[in-house]
Amino acid sequence: MPDWDERQKPERDVYGTQLTQAETIDARSSEEVIEERVEEATKPLGLWADTWRRLRRNRLALVGLGVIIVFLCIGTVETIFYEAHWHVRPGSDVSAANAPGYLAPYDPNEVNYALSPEGLGSPPSWSHPFGTDYLGRDVLSRTLIATRIAMLVGIIAVAIALTLGLLLGPVSGYYGGAIDTVIMRLADVFFAFPYILFVLLIMSVLGAGFQNVFIAIGILGWATFARISRGQVLSVKSMEYVEAARAQGAGDLRIIFRHVLPNSMAPVYVAMAMAIGGAIATEAALSYLGIGVQPPNSSWGLMIAESVNYLAAGNWWWLLFPSLALVATVFGFISFGNGLRDATDPKLKE
Amino acid sequence: MIAYIIRRLFQLVIVLIGVTLITFLMLKLVPGDPARALAGKNATPQRIEFVRHQRGLDRPFYVQYVRYVERLVHGDLGESLYTARPVAEMIWEAAPVTIQLAIAAVLIELLGIPLGVYSALKQYSFWDTTLTTGALILWGIPVFVLGYFAMYVFGLKLDWLPIGGVGDTVLWIIPSSWTSFTYLILPALTLGMIEIAYISYMQRAAMLEVIRSDFIRTARAKGLSERKVIWGHGFKNAVIPVMTIAGIDLGALIGGAIITETVFNRPGIGLMIYHAIGQRDTAVIAGGVLFATFFFVFANLLVDLGYAWVDPRVRLED
Repeated sequence: MPDWDERQKPERDVYGTQLTQAETIDARSSEEVIEERVEEATKPLGLWADTWRRLRRNRLALVGLGVIIVFLCIGTVETIFYEAHWHVRPGSDVSAANAPGYLAPYDPNEVNYALSPEGLGSPPSWSHPFGTDYLGRDVLSRTLIATRIAMLVGIIAVAIALTLGLLLGPVSGYYGGAIDTVIMRLADVFFAFPYILFVLLIMSVLGAGFQNVFIAIGILGWATFARISRGQVLSVKSMEYVEAARAQGAGDLRIIFRHVLPNSMAPVYVAMAMAIGGAIATEAALSYLGIGVQPPNSSWGLMIAESVNYLAAGNWWWLLFPSLALVATVFGFISFGNGLRDATDPKLKE
Repeated sequence: MIAYIIRRLFQLVIVLIGVTLITFLMLKLVPGDPARALAGKNATPQRIEFVRHQRGLDRPFYVQYVRYVERLVHGDLGESLYTARPVAEMIWEAAPVTIQLAIAAVLIELLGIPLGVYSALKQYSFWDTTLTTGALILWGIPVFVLGYFAMYVFGLKLDWLPIGGVGDTVLWIIPSSWTSFTYLILPALTLGMIEIAYISYMQRAAMLEVIRSDFIRTARAKGLSERKVIWGHGFKNAVIPVMTIAGIDLGALIGGAIITETVFNRPGIGLMIYHAIGQRDTAVIAGGVLFATFFFVFANLLVDLGYAWVDPRVRLED
């Protein structure tokens, strides 16, 4: 039901020009406007509503969130349809016409030498908007299908790191003493290695392959989460509600995981967003170096590595499109993470 | 200060033990029998056993570890399984190329400090938005992607700069002529740009926090000129934490240098490790990683000590 004042609100001023939003608000009684503002500003909000209110003002973070959602959707659709669509009829002829409900217009692994004159691929055209590579494979389809691996690495590797970190960090912070010393010195050791080199070292032991990428990135990521959650636990440990819980007879584990941890997760979420971006970039770097995803599978890093040998021949499209996808995704996670940090950091709150 | 230095050195020893232990474990965990590999392809079982005994590979785990550390202390990083050359010698040859690139990138990355301060002082202005957006986008670009685009545009299309290789140097790292300097420009800019993005973003945040703090308000209240408030009081306090971040970020810089080398084909530690990965030459990979890690750990120690020297609060923290 429309508000009474809403209906009386003049849409045009006395000269007949359209009023802007700000002017129509000012046209109402100022007392009411102030009341509304005060109510909006003082309305008690939950942690997430409050964070969202702050995050909404940060345009970069919103762009980041949008990018994340788009790529997550692409990744999900690819995952669902890839097996169902291409793998049911191996070897059969595939064309754009019979690819219903599937984003990639061609089979990403279909080799077609006719589309690659002189082995250099063909530049973007209407039928192949991103061009084709040296085997005549459609770059658009390969870029889309690589989204799946990038998202999987980001999510699974960070889930592994998060689980390890959230087990060790809070325990370390809550108990202190010898346990704390051991866990934190171990974290120091993990931080002592330049990150990508540590990943390379682990990968050289595990061997190439994309399951090992999950493991390497996941195992190496725990120290970040452990440090953050430990610091958070230390800062809430001595608060009264923890004492209250203990007085009621709650055990250590219950206090840590039911009372302390949920109240100290905001920085962990920020670190998660950043870590997913980092994991995707690391997977690309590993695949670029030849020890991540193996051909003929598709990964943005691998596509870049394959394209650069032909760069001198002017094959820009084959480098550009996977790079754009990679950069956009990593940017999405980093800028969303940064926005989330600004929105949840108590130091930056008004 | 002395107490702080002793505490940090003690931590350093623990970290170094941990780092060598992990590297040693990695060398042990590599699939395949090292004695068989060392003995050669067609070695008899007796020969393999002899090599195993000679190299101490039949001793208990901790004895092998102690011997490994002993050899490290004497500068022996083992031999390449592929070329049989001592790894330490390969690193000695490759290190100047990497160090040259890293130093050049650090010099470029320092430009991020004035950019960040400017952004913070003009918060929400057009330039602030542009710089912050640019920094976030650059930050998200993997170094090899930026490297290949720089190579494509400036090396291949415009043909201004060489696309790979390394120039002659004097005193290990100083380019001896303009021509050899040109080899450094593209790699150093590639690596430096991404670090500029990170440093300027951090500097902006630190400066924003400082100019909102009480002592700045006091400085303003007692009537100091705006210039004195910002540069005399604000900047000093905002730049120190960023220097520490830059120290920690040195790890990313070293990692970035490693990958940049593979893009521009610079025969440094990175290219060495890259080739070793292709040949599954774990001794070389571990040696290179260990060298870079030691470099990183000691650089960090120096940054931390410098920080503690400038800011006495740090010495008292745990």
